[in-house]
Amino acid sequence: MELQSQHFREKAADALADSAAVAQRDKIAQFTPIIRDAAMQEFGSFEALRKHIKRIRQHSLDNLDYYLARFELEATNNGNQVHYADTPDEMNSIVLDICQQHGAHRVAKGKSMVTEETALNDYLQRGGLEVVETDLGEYIIQQAGETPSHIVAPALHKSKQEIRELFLEKHALGERALETTEDLVDEARSVLRETFLKADVGIIGSNALIAENGYSMLVTNEGNGDLCANLPSVLIICTTLDRILPRGEDATAMQRLLARSTTGQAQTSYTSFYSGPRREGELDGPLETHIVLLDNQRTDILASDYKEMLQCIRCGTCLNHCPVFAATGGHSYGWVYSGPMGSILTPLLTSLETSEALPNACTSCGRCGEVCPADIPLPDLLRDLRHEQYQQKMTAPRWRVGLKLHAWLAVRPSLYQFLTAMLTTVLHRLGRKKGSFSQLPFAAGWTSVRDFPAPQSGTFMQQYKARTKADE
Amino acid sequence: MSSESRSRIMAKVRGASRGQGAAAIESELAGMGVAPTAPLPHEDTCIAFMANVLRNHGTLDIAGNRSEAVKLIGQYIYQHFRSHRLVAGNDPHLAAMPWRDGGVLPRFGEVEPGEPVALSYAQWGVAETGATVFLTGKSNPSRNNLLPERHLVLLDVNNLLPDLESLWRQIEPTIEAGSRPRGIQCIAGPSSTADIEAQLVHGAHGPRGWHIILTGGATHEQLQTARAIVACDDTLGGS
Ligand code: SF4
Repeated sequence: MELQSQHFREKAADALADSAAVAQRDKIAQFTPIIRDAAMQEFGSFEALRKHIKRIRQHSLDNLDYYLARFELEATNNGNQVHYADTPDEMNSIVLDICQQHGAHRVAKGKSMVTEETALNDYLQRGGLEVVETDLGEYIIQQAGETPSHIVAPALHKSKQEIRELFLEKHALGERALETTEDLVDEARSVLRETFLKADVGIIGSNALIAENGYSMLVTNEGNGDLCANLPSVLIICTTLDRILPRGEDATAMQRLLARSTTGQAQTSYTSFYSGPRREGELDGPLETHIVLLDNQRTDILASDYKEMLQCIRCGTCLNHCPVFAATGGHSYGWVYSGPMGSILTPLLTSLETSEALPNACTSCGRCGEVCPADIPLPDLLRDLRHEQYQQKMTAPRWRVGLKLHAWLAVRPSLYQFLTAMLTTVLHRLGRKKGSFSQLPFAAGWTSVRDFPAPQSGTFMQQYKARTKADE
Repeated sequence: MSSESRSRIMAKVRGASRGQGAAAIESELAGMGVAPTAPLPHEDTCIAFMANVLRNHGTLDIAGNRSEAVKLIGQYIYQHFRSHRLVAGNDPHLAAMPWRDGGVLPRFGEVEPGEPVALSYAQWGVAETGATVFLTGKSNPSRNNLLPERHLVLLDVNNLLPDLESLWRQIEPTIEAGSRPRGIQCIAGPSSTADIEAQLVHGAHGPRGWHIILTGGATHEQLQTARAIVACDDTLGGS
């Protein structure tokens, strides 16, 4: 997928101007946390589970040499061909080669953010293949020529009416009403059923790779990934090194966190573990299976201070709780990953310079860090990226001056308190009548979209001191 | 190309790893203990399993014996498709059913496109999540669990397990003995999607209905208790 993160500010402004889309995002931002909280409460010891998985994932990453070698050995013994790709292009070319070796024409794809990262669809299509996304959300955006707006629910930005019009235009099925969501799902079901049955190659991602037995875990509700994994004669699993976990029980414990955080379920409709190709005498299953492991900077992240980001289980919870994501939507982020995790991953997987706006698309509210089931200190990592930008002089000169001034003042508390008290008093007097300012020097970014409230009385410190004195 | 990349990636991974020996790694892992499991909705594993199946939008029937199971299967197929035909995997448990008792006409093998209903034999059920578990292979083609409109599952309550950890303990001896099943499928509900305006719809790609027939001594009283638990959830949840 082409990187557009350098246009975050313009895209965010456009997104904020679309009031219907803002209302739709607000609705989602309200109900997704409720579902997750209910599942968490019902589980009871969610925090203990979170800490346990964090320990296991840290242990896996600390010993990734051991677990990667073990996984490769077991997966190969299971009959898979394991490939390594340094770069997105290399992954794409490995996949195209496999397809061409089999004379494939049609590819059925399950949802895979890794292949969005490498823009695999375009690559295969340029190679003459017909590629169809089979996850309903991915299918909708593929038909619309769009990109995912959310890592878990890629088409949630589209209304039922838009999807209806899209299907009427794209599916040559004659006059029909397509009034309800059920009608739309049914139509996609019948169109995609043909895709599954005719596909020569199935491509899926993986939620976990199990080192002790070489199995790959796939978690879905639709069952499309399983159809891709079982019907075509060739299966290609496109995934990354950081998915490796030591044992089967670690993968299922991780899915306990994932399903509850994502959809509030105890387990999704389909949690499957695939070991390799069809065995002798079996009636179905792929005849050949490949696992392509993409690096694309992940080994650099592994060796960096951002290593914890590799513990991400791609649940989307931080997106669902982020006020910036709710306001601006996933497309503003300009790449595959959005929200807090995207604001960290995009600079790490692409470049900090091009995606300069993303670590700053943060109100520092800290919600993402509180809810992340992988216990990744997202606010800290965002701050570290901003710090790196500052050190590399990517931050705009006026901000650098402002930050320097603030740092200078912050270590002089008396002066700080004196100046803020003076400013508060001035603003209080000036704004007494109207109660707010529609224009203020150095605050145009604020006042261009909303008024700045006039301070009611003294600063926090002034009030604190006054109350402490009164209590004595 | 891939082998050069492999060497490069492996070298970088080695450089970033702690470089511990296998024994130290395994003992560190063993010291991390086990993950907490979800609390069961009832102390009786069978009731807990049933309640979770219902929460997962599955449906259930209780069969006192194999003849009754076949009758229930026959009724289900007739009610939904006005037919007596069904596809079943080659599992010996299914082959041995008294099909005539229910007037069911089974075909053993894999589901072909357009065949609306299949019956699978579940190796285990998991009470923690209400999942049925299938080992795909000669006797259990994976497409039978995925392609039909309605998926019928025969499960013996003596094969119920409390949690997902117990499931791995059951599967591991087979894996260690070298006969690894190609697929382990945990199915915990009908195929579903919420990709359009977050509205839940069943039958996205796979079965619209997931119906479990429990054999081996489950009772209607247990099922009633499970239903009461789910009704109570609904009341508390306000739905
Ligand atoms: S960063 Fe945490 S909350 Fe966000 S997607 Fe990853 S695991 Fe989920």
